[in-house]
This record gives sequence, structure tokens and C-alpha cells, in this order.
Amino acid sequence: MIDRLRSMIKEVEADFIDIRYEVKTETRIGFAGREIRSVGSNRTDGYAIRVGKNGGFSSATVTREEDVPRALRLAVEGAETIVATDGKKSVLAEVPVVNKNVILVLDGDPREISIDDKIELLRKYNDLMLDQPQIETTNLSYAEIGREKYYVNSEGTAVSEEILTTNIAGEVIAKRDSLVQNIRVAIGGADGYNRLLSREDVFLKKAEIAAKLLDAEPVKGGTYNVILSPMLAGVFTHEAFGHFSEADIIEDNPSLREKMSLGEQLGSDVITIIADSTLPGQIGYYLYDDEGVAVKPVTLMDRGVLTGRLHSRRTASAFGEPVSGHTVAEDMRFEPIVRMGTIYIKPGECSLDELLAELGDGLYLVDGKGGQTSGENFTFGAQYGFKVKDGRIGSMIRDINIMGNLFTTLQNIEAIGNDMELSERGGCGKGQLNIKSALGSPHILIRNMVVGGA
Amino acid sequence: MKKLLDTAAKVCDQAEVFSIRNDSSSLEMRNGKPSDMSASIQSGYAIRVLKNGRIGTAYTKNLLDRDELVRNALDSLKGNVEAGFSFPGSSEIPESWVPDESVSSMGFHDLHSRSRAALDYLSQKIEGQIDVSSGRGILDMAIMNTNGLNVSRKSSFMYIFASLLFPNTETAVRKLYQSRKSGDFPEKDLDILADLYTSGLPEVDIPSGRMKVVFTPSTMYTILWRLSRAVSGKSFYNKVSPLQNRREEKVLSEKFTLYGDPTDPLEVDQHFFDDEGVPAKKHTIFEKGVFKNLILNLDYADKLKEDPTGTGYRGGMWGGETVALAPAPSLSCSRIAPGKVSFEDMIRSIDRGVIVLGVLGAHSGNILNGDFSVGLNPGFYVEDGVIKGRVKDGMVSGNVYDVLNNIESVENSLHVSFTGGMFPSILLNDVSVAAK
Repeated sequence: MIDRLRSMIKEVEADFIDIRYEVKTETRIGFAGREIRSVGSNRTDGYAIRVGKNGGFSSATVTREEDVPRALRLAVEGAETIVATDGKKSVLAEVPVVNKNVILVLDGDPREISIDDKIELLRKYNDLMLDQPQIETTNLSYAEIGREKYYVNSEGTAVSEEILTTNIAGEVIAKRDSLVQNIRVAIGGADGYNRLLSREDVFLKKAEIAAKLLDAEPVKGGTYNVILSPMLAGVFTHEAFGHFSEADIIEDNPSLREKMSLGEQLGSDVITIIADSTLPGQIGYYLYDDEGVAVKPVTLMDRGVLTGRLHSRRTASAFGEPVSGHTVAEDMRFEPIVRMGTIYIKPGECSLDELLAELGDGLYLVDGKGGQTSGENFTFGAQYGFKVKDGRIGSMIRDINIMGNLFTTLQNIEAIGNDMELSERGGCGKGQLNIKSALGSPHILIRNMVVGGA
Repeated sequence: MKKLLDTAAKVCDQAEVFSIRNDSSSLEMRNGKPSDMSASIQSGYAIRVLKNGRIGTAYTKNLLDRDELVRNALDSLKGNVEAGFSFPGSSEIPESWVPDESVSSMGFHDLHSRSRAALDYLSQKIEGQIDVSSGRGILDMAIMNTNGLNVSRKSSFMYIFASLLFPNTETAVRKLYQSRKSGDFPEKDLDILADLYTSGLPEVDIPSGRMKVVFTPSTMYTILWRLSRAVSGKSFYNKVSPLQNRREEKVLSEKFTLYGDPTDPLEVDQHFFDDEGVPAKKHTIFEKGVFKNLILNLDYADKLKEDPTGTGYRGGMWGGETVALAPAPSLSCSRIAPGKVSFEDMIRSIDRGVIVLGVLGAHSGNILNGDFSVGLNPGFYVEDGVIKGRVKDGMVSGNVYDVLNNIESVENSLHVSFTGGMFPSILLNDVSVAAK
């Protein structure tokens, strides 16, 4: 395939061309309540092309091989139009030429497991939740997604890499009269099928929490001191700070770019944030990005000081900073953009009890329920939480969303726990879905968070 | 397509083939300069087979091997997914809009000149950062089944999307222009956008509390996602809807009417059949507050023993690959019926309140229960009928069944929402606003 890709781009008149061909495979099984609702395995493919010419940079994606020549022409036309219209000039940072074939290593290859066994595993976890008191229904799915990628560029780099993720994820729904409460559940990873086995405790616990939420009270809106659980602190790290560390987000906003200058003390001195997609076994693990660049760990913030940023070759050149290998596409339908991979807050020294004692009165908020960011403003939901009085965990609360300003919140982080948890399922939607985004953190204590309530 | 259908028909009771081809290009202008131009030529095929009351599905974007696709669908049948419905037969479906040549022939230079015109016009009105994106596309889709259905539609669209960013932020007021033909952003709409931006320039601190709240057309999806989930056939079949057993009851204010109408001539995506080939028509969900109808696809119509509603679409909350997604209940081309007051009079009637112009986190929270808690991005504070500025760090929270029973007024005209649909602004009484 690598040779075919080389031949496709060799005649194109441009300064830089790359082409990525992918075969994508999916196996999905879905239950809604006790009823199986979908089963299927599919295979498809396609091409993504980028062209740089005279400083203009453009892209095209295409499904069919016979459309590749037209896609190349459109990408060249786009690059030329950017130059003709005095658009943004792009220069790619220099990187080593690489020729690599990365072998997939799995602890249990899901492709060797029968569809019947996968259905039975999913049914077992699904039934376990449905059998719990006050559980009305579930939506639970098995997903196995493989990407067989072949990358070639005009500089001589050729990388082929196979990645495969598996997960079982969904929601468990409790209902009493017209009150409905749901809790999300997810297990999975990028290191094989065996990670999905013997996980009954996870599903049982989520069902119990969903039922308990029927007796929880809605949180009262206002400003609170809060402790965030590892998964919720991970959502904060990803949504609020992480996206702001992606160079393409701030590149064309001069005022934000100035605020995010390396060396600035943006956070309190207790917080250190790291992006490291080389951590083995994590959903965010990979070796080469979709520009054929080897991924490197980046310390984004060191004791509150901004020390690093995530880059594509183009943004690294524009910022005059090192390439980091963080340019990733959802699949062959998309050109790659700057993405996080695995991001987390480095553990500190406080136990949860010590954090609660330091909090005194406030809220303990647990697990994420989606988040969104717009520049320095962010919001994210908590699946549930508890009131805290005099350092003691009290009654359960629900309907919790938090909003804040990144810079203010980073300064208001007061203490970091000594535990650590990383997510098992990705799903970041920055224009395209990145199922390989892992996030995590210890417990953290933050002062003065705006909490929306009923 | 016909060969694929014939191959599938030989091994099952009924079969359906869905195909789509999308040829599009787009342009981004950030801070006044063209920054990205991209093109996309995507195709895809999906098949569904019915055999002995079971359904099998398969898809591919690149139809290289018909037999493999049919084999995948047959393998899928082994999952024993029950399906009691039949595919629809042939029916009289009006001629669809013919793609406009002016869109087919649009190149990057044309997109740029129309974006540039909007940018230059706005630059005369405001001093802040202006981002403009634009695009054009031709969509070609078709459905055939073994019951005689053979329908297709082609459509064309172009859009220009303008964002005016407040200083030192990514927070913006935004407006969408879209058309089936190539065109320019109307200056009167750009004037409205620039005036709105100017009124929101001051940043104001407000106290937390309960006050009046206006949801504008482009934030209406916060409310509609929650209602759509509750009236979906899936929620009813699984008995988890808060509106279970409340058909024909008045559950919301009489000022609230919600329907979908894919046949609306004003709709850029006008169409006359859904993604299962069922004729699409105006479909009312709430009429003057009374809960009238569910949103169904063929499967849930059969399970709930109701008539199909022409609302089965291959789409998801986050988009996704069309052919990879099974048709699910979804309200297309949604509308909220207009009320009686102008937007200006609506604002003048507010003693103290917030205009929600953009939200963060509409997808968070307990959607099924109707709860929402969204960040203002931006929200403008109004006092004694006058916009005072944009709120610093605020959230609006509530439950749709509470707030939609306390509607003060509905705007008298509809506007295109850049999140889909056409809506008026709605003024709600007594909504919780949290602020720093």
C-alpha cells in the first residue's frame, strides 16, 4: 500500500504532499433494556490528502480511489487560493524522515473472539444492572474500532500503524414516577479484549448510584468551594486547560495567544499537568501521529507555570516551539488536527480525608457528564455529588453543572490529592470525534466555583 | 444500487439499500485572513435485510465488494435483533429541488469573495476580531427496497457563518446565512449582528437569583434536545419518558407549539421522505402546550403499534457517519410556532433578566429528565428593558417542563438557527441564574 500511495502523489506539483489511507473496521453490539438492538461488523476505507504550495496549505478527503486525482487537484487549488487571497502562510517544522511499521500488541485480540461471546459478555453486564432495584432500563453497547493506517509524505516518510480500541459503555436509568435519573458507565481501552473481562463491580456500582439519585436533591445554584473526583478533575483538565494547550485553538486569537505565553504563571503552584500518549495501556496510547511524527510526552504546566504546548508541524513552526506529535484525525474522513491523547494532573500529597478537612464546607462532585469549552470559558457536568459540612460527606445532590474561567480556576486550585485515575474511554468532539482521548487526575480542591442548580 | 439490492434480495425476505454521496468544500477566515480551505468527496452505502422477523445491517463507504457487504448483513442477522416492521412500498413523492448550478460551480475563489464581502462590511461596523467561515455542497442520496420503493433526492446548499468575538475571548455573537443558491450575506442581518455585538461589549457582574430569561433561536437546542428525548419512540418503548401516559394532555404553556416540517419551501434541506423512504410531512409534537405525537422510526412505530411518522433519520446528536448509523427517531426541520411580540418589545418588557445568545454544556446533565444547566457564552444582562452588557461567568438552570410552563412571550418571527431549525426567541419567567 505504501508504494501505491507514493505513486499517487508523485506527479503533483507542490512543495509538500501527504496522503493517508485507512481501513476502518467496526464491530458494534447494542442493548436497550433487555432487548438486543443492533449487531454488526463493518469494514470501509478512504483517503486524506494535504498539500502545501508557496506557503498555502489545503486538504481534501475522499472515499474512492478513482476520486483521488480530483481530490489532489482540489487541495492544490485550495493552497493556491490561500496564497492568492493573502491568506495564512504555513511552514512545516522540520522533523526526521521516518520509515516505520508499528505492530499492534494486544492483551487478548477481540478479533479472535466470536460475536456470540461478545454478546454474552455485554448481556451479562447489562442484566446485572437491570436486576438492581429501581433500575428501569439501560442503553449499553460494545464497540470495537480498528484503524489500519498507511501514511506517506513527499519528504520520504512512510508509517503504517494499526490501532484498535474496545469498550463497553452506556447508561443505566432509574425511574420513580416521572423522575428519571441516569448514570454513565464505561470500561475499555486500547490494549485488548481482556481488559473488559471480570468487571462486574463497575456496573453494579453504577446501577446502585443511579437508584440512589432518585432520592438526591437538586443542587442549589451558587458559588462553592469544591472537591472534584479524579474523573471530574480529568474532565476539567481536558476541557478547560487541555484544549487551550492545543496550539490550533489559540493560534489565530492574538489576545489569547499572549495570555498563553510559555513561562507565564497561570495556575497555583500546586498544579502540574502532563500530556503523555506514550503511557502504555491507556486509551490515548499511540506511537506516531497522523503526520508521521513520533509522539513525545509534554509537561504543559509545571507548578502553575506554562511550560509546553501541543502542536502539529504547522503550528510548531508558527509558534517557534518543538513538535510534539499530537496531530490526529478521527479517521480517513478528516484531515488531522491538534489533539491531546492522554492528559492528566500529576498527583500531589493529600489524601481525600485531608482534602475534605481542608474544604470544610462545600461540595464533593463526582464523575463527569460531558463538558465544553469556548476560549477561556468552560462548563462541565458532574454525574452526582455530595454536600460537605465540617469536612464530612453528607447528603447526595444531583443536576450539577460547573462553569468557570480557566485562568481564574487554575489560580483557585488549592490542593491536589495523592490518588490517580485515568479514563478508559475517549470521545472528545473537537469538530471530529477522538475516541483515543484519555483524561485523568487525582482528587483536587478548588475555591469559588460557579455551580448551576435548579 | 440495483445490483446490490438484487444480491441481498436473494438471501432474505426484504432488503433495503441506502446510498449517499456528498461533495463539499469549505473556507475558514480567522481574524480576517483565509486560514483553511478543504474539500470532501464522500460516499457510502448501507443495507438492511429482514428475515424471519429479524434485522441485519451493514455499511461501507467504498463499495468494492457487494458480496462482502451482503455477507456482513447476514452475519448481523445472527444477532437475533427483532424487527416486526416492513420496508415501505412505492408512494407518490413530489419532485425534489434540483441542485443549483451556481452552487455546483462554486470554487474556493467564489467562497472567498462572498466571505470577504461579509467581513469587510462588518469591519466598518465593529473593531473586534471577526471570523467568517463558508462552504458549499451537493448532496445526492437514494433509497431502494424490495417492496418497490425507489426514491432519490439531490440538494445543494451554501452558507456563510459570521462570528464577532468579544475582546480577549473566544466568546462571540454569531449568525448564519444559508441558501440553496449561491448568495451574499444580507446586510440587514449583518447590521443586526453588529448592533448586538456592540450592546454586549461591556462586561457586567450580576447577582445570582431567579429572573427572566430569553432563549434565542441559536440556543433553543438546549430545550429541544430534552423534549426530543422525552417524545422519542425509544424512550416511550423503554418506559422512561417523563411524558409517559400523558398524550393529549396539556403539559406545557399554551404559548408553545413544536413541529417539524421538512416540506417547508423555506427549508434549505427541503425533502419529502425520511431516511427510510417514508413520506415526510408536517409533524406536530406539542400544539398549544398539548402533547400530541411521538417521534418514530419504522421500528418504534411497529413496536408501539403506531403509524410511521416519516421521522426516521440516519443521524446522531454529534453527527457521525451517515451510513454507519441506523435510522433513529429524529425531528427534522424543527419549528416553534411564532408568538405575538417583536424581539425589541420582548426585551423592553424585561425588568431584570438574561438573554441567552450562546451556551456551553447543553449536552451535559440529565437530558432525559428535562434538566438543563448551561454556561452563558454569551448571555446579556437586561435591566429595565435595556441591555447592560454581557454577563461574566453565569449559568442558567432549570427543567424544561417547569420553564416551558412559565412562558411570558414568544417572538413573532422565526430565525434560522445555526444548530438547525427555525425558531422565535422565547421569554421565560422565574428561571435560576447563578453567577459569581
